[in-house]
Amino acid sequence: MKARARVWDVAVLLLLAVWAGPFFWQVRTSFTPDAELLATQRVLPASPTTIHYRAVAERSVMPRALGNSLAVAALTTLVALALGLPAAYAIARLPVPGKALLLLVIVASTAFPQIATVSPLYLLMRGLGLRDTWTALVLANTSFALPLLIWLLAGFIREVPIELEEAAFLDGAGRLGVLARVIVPLVAPGVASAALLTFLASWNEFLFAYTFTATEASRTVPVALALFPGVFEVPWGDIAAASILASLPPIIIVVGLQRWLVQGLTAGALKD
Amino acid sequence: MTARQRADRRAGLAFVAPAVLVLAGLSLYPGLWVLWLSLQQRIPIFGIARFVGIDHYAFLASDPRMWNAVRVTLVFTVASVALELVLGLTAALALQRQRLGRRIAVALLLLAWALPSVVTAKLFEWLYHPSAGLVNVLLGGRTLNWLGDPGLALAGLIAADVWRTMPFVALLCYARLLTIPGEVYEAARVDGAGRLATLTSITLPLLRPVLLIALLFRTLDALRAFDLMFVLTGGGPAGTTETLTVYAYRSLFQTLQLGFGSAIGVVSFMLVMLVAAAYLGVLRRAGATA
Amino acid sequence: MRLPSIPAVLVLLALLLLSGCAERREAGGPVTLVFKHAKIFGPTDPIAGLLREFEASHPGVTVRSEELTWTSDEQHQFYVINLEGATPTFDVLMLDVIWVPEFAQAGWLLDLSPWVTREELAPHFPAAVAAATWGDRVWGVPWNMNVGVLYYRADLLAKYGLTPPRTWEALVEQAELIRARERDPKLDGVLWQGKQYEGLVCNVVEQFWASGTALFSDDGRVLPDLERAAAALAFMRGLIDRGVSPGWVTAGDEELTRRAFGDGRAVFLRSWPYAMDLFEQADSPVRGRVGIAAVPGHVGGAAGVGTTGGFHLAVNRRTRHAEAAVALVRFLGSERGQRALTAAGVALYPTRTALYQDPAAVQAHPYMPRFHDLALVARPRPVTPYYLMISTTVQPEFSAALVRVKTPRVALEHAQRRLEHLLAVR
Repeated sequence: MKARARVWDVAVLLLLAVWAGPFFWQVRTSFTPDAELLATQRVLPASPTTIHYRAVAERSVMPRALGNSLAVAALTTLVALALGLPAAYAIARLPVPGKALLLLVIVASTAFPQIATVSPLYLLMRGLGLRDTWTALVLANTSFALPLLIWLLAGFIREVPIELEEAAFLDGAGRLGVLARVIVPLVAPGVASAALLTFLASWNEFLFAYTFTATEASRTVPVALALFPGVFEVPWGDIAAASILASLPPIIIVVGLQRWLVQGLTAGALKD
Repeated sequence: MTARQRADRRAGLAFVAPAVLVLAGLSLYPGLWVLWLSLQQRIPIFGIARFVGIDHYAFLASDPRMWNAVRVTLVFTVASVALELVLGLTAALALQRQRLGRRIAVALLLLAWALPSVVTAKLFEWLYHPSAGLVNVLLGGRTLNWLGDPGLALAGLIAADVWRTMPFVALLCYARLLTIPGEVYEAARVDGAGRLATLTSITLPLLRPVLLIALLFRTLDALRAFDLMFVLTGGGPAGTTETLTVYAYRSLFQTLQLGFGSAIGVVSFMLVMLVAAAYLGVLRRAGATA
Repeated sequence: MRLPSIPAVLVLLALLLLSGCAERREAGGPVTLVFKHAKIFGPTDPIAGLLREFEASHPGVTVRSEELTWTSDEQHQFYVINLEGATPTFDVLMLDVIWVPEFAQAGWLLDLSPWVTREELAPHFPAAVAAATWGDRVWGVPWNMNVGVLYYRADLLAKYGLTPPRTWEALVEQAELIRARERDPKLDGVLWQGKQYEGLVCNVVEQFWASGTALFSDDGRVLPDLERAAAALAFMRGLIDRGVSPGWVTAGDEELTRRAFGDGRAVFLRSWPYAMDLFEQADSPVRGRVGIAAVPGHVGGAAGVGTTGGFHLAVNRRTRHAEAAVALVRFLGSERGQRALTAAGVALYPTRTALYQDPAAVQAHPYMPRFHDLALVARPRPVTPYYLMISTTVQPEFSAALVRVKTPRVALEHAQRRLEHLLAVR
């Protein structure tokens, strides 16, 4: 019986490794010299090389793009948290006039397709002279990250036993104090996972970043990758190396922090 | 109203106001503005801004490229979501029985979902390379032109999307499965229920709410999908992978036809909202009878 | 020593001060011009040398050269987004000729008419000058010229006693004959650019002209003769159906087709002048075996004529250093500038007609006079600010006809309808 279970475990692991295969193939490609690239015969390259990584680090815009992505994602997360945490608390606990309508609007705006809002936002950014700035991307990313964040955080906050808040009131704390000193510490894991999801969504965002940036210097990682320059032939090896570098933060977040991520995802999904 | 209640009301408004203002400015206002734009002939670089009423919509109503885009969007959505649900559920069930190396298994599964969509697009572009791509090599050296053949491109795109999003469905189901207490299965086993019976009469019904949620999320996401097809195929070849989003984007930004492109964007918007409303109606009814 | 008289000292001081002021005004602080251009290929980079030469003759001015992205569409997007914005991040730009009317209409280019006279433009090809002017003003200085040409394997044609075909029908006959006799399954008939991008429009437009029709009539009607245009498209598709062209031309761009022909895998190639230098390189399998002919016409249609293309130099209207920028543009487009490009062996053909007869140039590129003759009679694609809109509208339709997703007739009807909608509501 145990042997059967062991075989099952190994089989599942193998199947999942096969599912993740395309990613590993890209890793392999990133270490394969150009000469071997177009003649795919071996599983592992005969003479692995780091030339692609060096090319990407030294001669491409990826390092700059990584910096841009990091800044935009971090700022988006901070802004979204600053706006979303109080709003989520209010929705979860406070009598907000028109709350039902508000909730409807918030939920509806998560369904807004980016393609519909991109043309007005383009005119807005153009009018405000915000093209090629981090501000434009942070604003644009906040527009879709905020509703999701509010929804998730409201769910977490509702789980906090109301007696704890009551106790704080009796001690003379105002609503803001309750939020800061009681709620936040208790929902910290949830906030962390929601923040990670926001960071992830902002890092991966492509459409707005592609539309609002024009110069190479202001591109984020997805845009830099999509516009990776090829002269005569496509530099598959360099693109593979750039792809792996672009994927490191998301992989670290998703794989390394699975537990919290699962919590964030499922909490919001199941608390309907 | 007590003083406390009044204070609460004020606090509520104050806490919510900043977020609402930001959302109003960045989501709601653009949502309305795009409607206004769609009624204009708007070419910013030439300074053209003329009201043309429903001219664009009238054109789109009999525009073959528009109907092609709708068809591609729907085919893509239905095929992707169906495959994701089936495969995701299977993966979740497999994970549930996993004893050893579960974290590694989940990590392997999540790898595909973690990657930015542009990375996935580049990844599959390389996999689909006619001569050096792994797919063709594994197929025994055939030189199928996955991204250049009108008959193959959409299938290739769907495969890439399913690869990327199946883990999300699997994760949702897996998390739900984790909350099912072992006693439920014990009881079923004691009653003599076989594997299949357990699956259909216990597991699936318990998973139903999660599956419906996954269905909703994934359908809306697939209807709005843009990154993958834009970077992988650009809507080609010959428009066989041109979804509404790609059609709208190309009309908007290849020539800055902001009026016409906005009209297509509005159509996409309406489609998404329609489907969302329909699903929510179904969900509410399902919730009522559950 | 006698002390200088006070008035003399004063005059001396005044002179010193004035000369100092004058110098400062001339230098005005160092001027840095930013020149945006596409990557220039070849063994050497002639631009760097030219820029240093310009800096030497214009003290106080440095020119920083920045490369654009590789594809034409991306370059256009970059320019559109940047030129629309407020801050000028570059002063001099290298423009595809098809963008000049659009950028001029949008008010992004500095009107060069005060500096560049018609006389100054006279030494350039008429087609190039036509593309540099819009609304009777001069917006760019012609810099490099392109024209659609037909390359053929002179050795193969000579072997079977054939002369370069004047019509596509003759070309097909020759290609089929040669392929049958050579019995080489890897030898294709004719290669051309059928991928869905701007290159496709060039190929299709040439076929339209050869069939006696055009994309626009003189009075601005879209696809005035749908029957002939459909026949032309059907002919192109027929090339693939009959196997005269391989199926992959529908994904073929300049480089893909050039390499195949350069490896000896085709009898004919429709391409641009740049390819010839690559065919004549030392290690090229087709060295010395390539001939140049005009793009063929059609039986019962018109004589063959190639499309013109190329790049012009223009100045950003918002530049802060108009004088210096215009000086740079005129220098690069001057005889000295264009000669340097030709001499560097980078296959950038000048727009100055005289250079095609220049002994040094002809020695390096013996086929230059041939290109000159072909460029003289070449026609431009529609010269209109809406060209890009038109091109991106018709590209998918042409492509759909070529890959058999639509019939040529239906594809063109769709193209016509869409163009009429986009252009009528102007």
